[in-house]
Amino acid sequence: MAEKIIGIDLGTSNSAASVIQGGKPTLIPAAEGTTVAGKAFPSVVAFSKDGDLLVGEPARRQAVTNPDNTIREAKRKMGEDFLYKIQGKEYKPQQISAFILQKIKRDAEAFTGETISKAVITVPAYFNDNQRQATKDAGTIAGLEVVRIINEPTAASLAFGLDKAKEDMKILVFDFGGGTLDVTIMEMGGGVFEVMSTSGDTKLGGADMDQALIDFVVDEFRKKEGIDLSSDSTAITRIKEGAEKAKIELSTVMETEVNLPFIAQDPSGAKNLEVKITRAKLEDLVNPIVQRCKSSIDKSLEDAKLSTSDITKIVLIGGPTRMPIVKKFVSDAVGKEAESGVDPMEAVAFGAAVQAGIIAGDVTSDIVLLDVTPLTLGIETLGGVREPIIERNTTIPTSKDKTFTTAADSQTAVTINVVQGERPMVADNVSLGSFNLTEIPPAPRGVPQINVKFDIDANGILNVTAKDMGTGKDAKITIQSTTKMSDDEIKKMQEDAEGHAEEDKKKKEAVDIKNEAESFIYTTEKLVNQDLKDKIPQEKGIQITDAIKELKDSLSQDTEQIKQKLEALKAIVNEVTTELYKNASPPPGEQQSGEQQSGEQQSGEQQSGEQQSYANEQQSGSNEEKSDSNSEQKSENNSN
Amino acid sequence: MSENKEQINEEDAESIDNSEILDDETVKLKEENSDLKDKWQRALADYQNLERRTQIEISQRVSNKTNNLLLNFINIYDDFIRAENSLSKEKIDTSGLIAVIKNMESLLAENNIKPIDAVGEIFDPQIHEAVSMVEDDSLDDGTITQEVSKGYISGKAILKPSKVIVSKKKN
Repeated sequence: MAEKIIGIDLGTSNSAASVIQGGKPTLIPAAEGTTVAGKAFPSVVAFSKDGDLLVGEPARRQAVTNPDNTIREAKRKMGEDFLYKIQGKEYKPQQISAFILQKIKRDAEAFTGETISKAVITVPAYFNDNQRQATKDAGTIAGLEVVRIINEPTAASLAFGLDKAKEDMKILVFDFGGGTLDVTIMEMGGGVFEVMSTSGDTKLGGADMDQALIDFVVDEFRKKEGIDLSSDSTAITRIKEGAEKAKIELSTVMETEVNLPFIAQDPSGAKNLEVKITRAKLEDLVNPIVQRCKSSIDKSLEDAKLSTSDITKIVLIGGPTRMPIVKKFVSDAVGKEAESGVDPMEAVAFGAAVQAGIIAGDVTSDIVLLDVTPLTLGIETLGGVREPIIERNTTIPTSKDKTFTTAADSQTAVTINVVQGERPMVADNVSLGSFNLTEIPPAPRGVPQINVKFDIDANGILNVTAKDMGTGKDAKITIQSTTKMSDDEIKKMQEDAEGHAEEDKKKKEAVDIKNEAESFIYTTEKLVNQDLKDKIPQEKGIQITDAIKELKDSLSQDTEQIKQKLEALKAIVNEVTTELYKNASPPPGEQQSGEQQSGEQQSGEQQSGEQQSYANEQQSGSNEEKSDSNSEQKSENNSN
Repeated sequence: MSENKEQINEEDAESIDNSEILDDETVKLKEENSDLKDKWQRALADYQNLERRTQIEISQRVSNKTNNLLLNFINIYDDFIRAENSLSKEKIDTSGLIAVIKNMESLLAENNIKPIDAVGEIFDPQIHEAVSMVEDDSLDDGTITQEVSKGYISGKAILKPSKVIVSKKKN
């Protein structure tokens, strides 16, 4: 008999596990039983004062007594260079996750009566390669061979059986957990799931809703009895339980009551808490929290370049999505009803078990699961501008290339600095590594053709190759961890990118205009002093020289000044060259010699017939540099 | 003679051929037999596992249902205890109420449900859940000073951990 493989939803606050039994996913219970929260394994690890390891529910129960030795939300640190220091020992986040996985393995073995040594583990869609690798490592540490890492939204879609659908579809997965919101848009077609975009909020979740309800109950009691219960831990514990029960009931009934007799006592006698809550009231309380989800949905649609009408299915995950208001909110926002039939608390673990079942041969499916790059990958160009090569959310494996050129005459080496991030300036992104391409034959700037190719294989490993198209010589770098950054950092960088968009635009504009001016000066000087030395009237020559001088002087000034002077110089040069070409057009094909070795896209440029602008753009490039600042003029082959 | 010999040889050859065919068939049948035996054993094991699991599932479902019902009952039982505490503080006769509480306790005992000891005990995360801490130098670290919500065990299983306040030394 085939060995059983379990599916694990390794969550931030809680984890769950499932296994295929009789062809269907079954939830694996924890030895301690299922908690009120629904998921069996709180993602909490602690060390008691005697050094004993506590995992799951017991660790959660003792957290307030032992905060220094209790670790929560280790998932947020996965893949980071971070160490937990506990009782003089250091633990990596993957070791902490391994303790949770170990506990799940043990309880799964008790439940199935079999030895479990293999698992499928789910991760958020935006998890980078480092975080995925750390998750795999955690499994290995726990004695589990991680046969596959799959995205949580993909797992949920599998649980809802969307892989069985014959038609192509675009699925919006709305994962609203206890403390985080993740919105993912996926495309499913031809048995393939592809992530189109991910978005979310790390500080938004069901816990906020529970607190709103507790605050309301406490307020109502204060209004009625004049007693503040918020500092009475016994009362608050009872209110929490009562509010949780009321919240669950209000998903099916329109009105309920939190009824807590003898909640307090004052000189006039015992006080009973009786607060009626209607579904409308609850919805009123949680509506501000629900509305905050809107921006994440909009962002995910925008990133996927889709409108709501393009979405064919909605999948809801997480406890709060059981609430009618949340269901209605998502349905209204997208204009469709959500899928039903699977408990949103169990969907991810069930989906992981389905994937495990497919691998073990217990379940049949033709599904292929693909990963994406979470952030844009590019290289540094002149002036610290980042030139994107592989845009974020590109499905891997993928391969793309662009052609660049040199920034200075007789430049014999270029440095390729590989960067990752969403900001246009290199300094605001993260450098993954750099290498040099040397022995470029000396040539005027703009002449050498250097093809830079980014190749990400199925394991997320990035290979960058730079090739001098003239000599065929190449240099390369392999970057194991294409994603050195934490989830927090990614989020921060994306938020930063949005917040700084205007500022960045100006910075980039300033660098671009300066680069263009320098390049134009170079071209014009060459034109005036060498190429057309004898063909330019003296008076015009002086005009050009003056304009060049003014432009050079303006380079240290603001962007507007440079722009003005550049325009002035361009106008004079245009005038002169137009006059010249009127008299003598160059023979066709003459310019195709020498420089153009990289082929197709370059020939496009030449055939455009705009030779002057070609001359400008070809030279406007930069250090280890692109032939122009417009990426569409460079080769971009996607062999994805 | 020689003819006979030939005939015998032919017969021999034929019987050798036949025995080879028979051998092949025997091997095939043996393989089939072993395969079927294996499948039968697996099916039997599957069936036995199913029986075992079904038994466990049935008893689990029954005990889950019973425990859920009893948990709801326990909430009301706790309210009765609160009522008795509150009324006796106001010097009201609660003997009738105490009798009701005793009946409730015997119902719990019949179902093998016992309250978890808390106040004065050393905190144990296997059965207690800490909601807060208080500083108290007169007590050992981790001593439970107050029970904010009673906990119960059913056999070895924790029906509901007791929610407690735990002491810690000032330094």
